[in-house]
Amino acid sequence: MTPDIELALPARAANIAVVRHAFGALGEALAVDEQILSNIRLAVTEACTNVVVHAYPDGEEGQLEILATLQEEKLVVVVRDEGPGIGPRPDSPGLGLGLPLIASVTESVQLGRDDGDERTEVRMTFPLSSGAP
Amino acid sequence: MTSTPTQNEPGENSVSLRLANGPLTGPVLSRVVEMVLARADCPVNRLNDAMILCDALAAHTPAHANDGHVAFTVVTDGREIQLRVGELSEQGATKLLADAAVPGIGNVLERLSDELRIESSSTGHPREELILTLHFD
Repeated sequence: MTPDIELALPARAANIAVVRHAFGALGEALAVDEQILSNIRLAVTEACTNVVVHAYPDGEEGQLEILATLQEEKLVVVVRDEGPGIGPRPDSPGLGLGLPLIASVTESVQLGRDDGDERTEVRMTFPLSSGAP
Repeated sequence: MTSTPTQNEPGENSVSLRLANGPLTGPVLSRVVEMVLARADCPVNRLNDAMILCDALAAHTPAHANDGHVAFTVVTDGREIQLRVGELSEQGATKLLADAAVPGIGNVLERLSDELRIESSSTGHPREELILTLHFD
């Protein structure tokens, strides 16, 4: 299924705000419930932050891609990068709360690689209405 | 998992967007351009001009898109922003430009842009790209 929104931009801290602001359009155009929209923006922000902080070696800049697809009463968002993949990092500058936080506000979350094994993906599914299963 | 290719590889200061024709086109485009310009310290009058351009593009671009999607690339370079509207059908940019004429006001895209040009691609399916540039001091 072709995504409804595809965004590609350099993986920089300043660009996280661009993505977060763009997702506000869901509330504007589709009247998504405020709490659900807040969850979507929180999870997408966390996933993008993970890309900016962890995906590429220090001093190297790579790509941040976000794909969002509307599927009936759900929204599937894939945040991906061209880094080596998700793994344990003893020197991580964060508290390690990003993925648990994402899991707490999504219906489901999957970590993996894309079909061509070229990109690392975080795939998040959100209900778009409070009553969705 | 999905491996949908992104149409435009972003350069150092660019954001590539590909949007399905529908209610999200305008709000997403406007929000991305707004944020990019705010980050570039764009004065409010030019920010307002850019929002009017986005509204006009969101209203008229879907009619000239090739496959139900429209592609935009937003590039900031110093004191200017370039907005590239891509994946348009043959003559799509020309028709899009014609559609943006408002009676009594003139052509919104031409009046608000400092530079405007159309590029054609002859490889594969004939396609056009509309390129708008706004300067700000």
